[in-house]
Amino acid sequence: MAPEVGLSRSTFAKLSPHPYLLANLEPSDDSTPPARSNGRAPFEVRKPTVNLSSLSHAHGSALVRTGDTTVICGIRAETILTENIPNYRASNTETELSDYDLLVPNIELATGSAPQFLPGGPPTTLAQTLSTKIYSLLHSSKLLRAEDLRIWHSRPAETSFADEEEGAEESEPKEGEKYVVAYWVLYIDLFFISFDGNPFDAAWAATVAALRDTKLPQARYDPDREMILCSRKDPKPLTVESMPISCTAVIFTGKETKDQPADGKFWLLADPDTLEESLCDETVTIVIDCTGGSRRILSISKHGGTVMTAKLLTSKEFLDWASTRWEDFASAITGSH
Amino acid sequence: MADRRRVNGPGSSTLPPVYDDGELNAASRRQRAPDAIRPLCETKPIPTICSYMSYHENLETKTLRLDLKTGVTPSASGSAYLEIEPREGEHGSGMKLTCTVHGPRSLPRSAPFSPYMVLSTHVKFAPFATKQRRGYLRDSSEKDLSTHLETALRGALIADRWPKSGVDIVVTIIEGESTRQDAVERRVEEWDVMNVLGGCITVASAAIADAGIDCVDTVSGGVAALVASKDGNDASIVLDPVALEHESVMAACCVAYLPNRDEVTNLWFKGQLPLSASYNHQSLVSRAVQASRGTHGLISASLSEAIGSTQN
Repeated sequence: MAPEVGLSRSTFAKLSPHPYLLANLEPSDDSTPPARSNGRAPFEVRKPTVNLSSLSHAHGSALVRTGDTTVICGIRAETILTENIPNYRASNTETELSDYDLLVPNIELATGSAPQFLPGGPPTTLAQTLSTKIYSLLHSSKLLRAEDLRIWHSRPAETSFADEEEGAEESEPKEGEKYVVAYWVLYIDLFFISFDGNPFDAAWAATVAALRDTKLPQARYDPDREMILCSRKDPKPLTVESMPISCTAVIFTGKETKDQPADGKFWLLADPDTLEESLCDETVTIVIDCTGGSRRILSISKHGGTVMTAKLLTSKEFLDWASTRWEDFASAITGSH
Repeated sequence: MADRRRVNGPGSSTLPPVYDDGELNAASRRQRAPDAIRPLCETKPIPTICSYMSYHENLETKTLRLDLKTGVTPSASGSAYLEIEPREGEHGSGMKLTCTVHGPRSLPRSAPFSPYMVLSTHVKFAPFATKQRRGYLRDSSEKDLSTHLETALRGALIADRWPKSGVDIVVTIIEGESTRQDAVERRVEEWDVMNVLGGCITVASAAIADAGIDCVDTVSGGVAALVASKDGNDASIVLDPVALEHESVMAACCVAYLPNRDEVTNLWFKGQLPLSASYNHQSLVSRAVQASRGTHGLISASLSEAIGSTQN
């Protein structure tokens, strides 16, 4: 053990984070295994914990915590009559979710979740980007079925309103009798309580967990009052069969600036924290769904840098890592009931 | 013009669900004496919000239920999480608050010189915190709460120890009270604001202690209310009121109180006292002070427990 000279470890880490992380990943002697500044191995992730139904005002909610990143998601359902939807077409049964904007995800970082996110201003670029990413992934992953959000009504017969049986159940369409009178709109609000890197993975996991937890009340249309009435009895859960999970890693090159020639040496750091995110330019996010044993990739996005090659992205190690991460999240979400 | 920096949803407005069947159980103030307050504090050094349920096991002998933890947001200088449990026999009408403290840190160059610490408070309800969905922009009631909180804390902080520096205190209400539909119908939300303010003061005080900012004392919030009984001609004062448990609330008072100095830093009185009654303003204020004394004992117990467990 060399005698401690000059600065202590923590001071050095603060003053010069990049060489510190590099020195940790490339230990001078073989006795110490390579580790990151936070003590994790390069591919080691923070174990997620999930807590469902912690909010009473929301129709579904989830709290997801990975390390020091904590996000709470609350889903509220509100109704909109089809007559109030601009450009409503009854024949449209394919793209209702996106055409009528029935899913409204928003992310709030400005809760003092980290010193750089203080309330008072407009949402930061990061918050806007995250909201948009969640929004587009919700639609592209086809996580929800539009029929869960439809509220049906049968046009009453002339003499009596014989059949009061409504809801989004299986309908026996009798010509012109049963029609969609309204839709549920899901407001998905994500609040970061604590922020320490990798916001998208946590936010997306919270969204999926909260959607699986969401129960919509039984709803029917009252033609006299021209409004939707709901019943508290046996609310109906949403059908969420798939479980896409997002896995993020950053690439650390060992060079502080891009001008320096990278000698091909790099480290893939899974589930980065704030410090690592600030030191790395290249990020890769893969959204994967392993439900039922088969591995399906829903999206891969890679930003910045040129280190991560197509070969590496499709390598077995990388996909195996993503599958392990999927299992972590999936067992945390399903096991917390 | 809609806010383009957020996802706004459908163009025309949506309606929250309207229920036509009543709620299952009626509210009542059973199992609680008039001067019993609900809170009970619990602090852990680096706790998880998920595990709060386990703390209640050793607390069952007491009538008070409140959960307080510090250190929820490690990147902030100080943070606390407060949870007031829902009442017996009811599901889900508790209160959940988080508070983060950032600073003291240097003011921006553009700011004018200040010989004292500049305190800024920010109270925000989450959109899912209340019965009606709230927007992301702060409304007037949230600004009002921020101002009250600022006054309450300003009296406790020793501000001249940090010249030229600023502190940001952010309180997020994850869940407010009054889940029930009749809370909206009976227009009792205005009384719940008092309880929310009391919770904000308590949680901010714990977060300031966690941040290690010097205070003259730990300030704590307490609420008392004058309520009418069923027949309407008999009034009594209760501590830590829940408006739904009573027939009607005539007046309520929220204080921020420093017990060791016997000082009140903020006082908010609302409502009208009946002319004939034997209650006056002083009696209501002193009962509110009594409520905050109760809260204070619980905060200091949980804070000292947190210190003890970090030293071990």
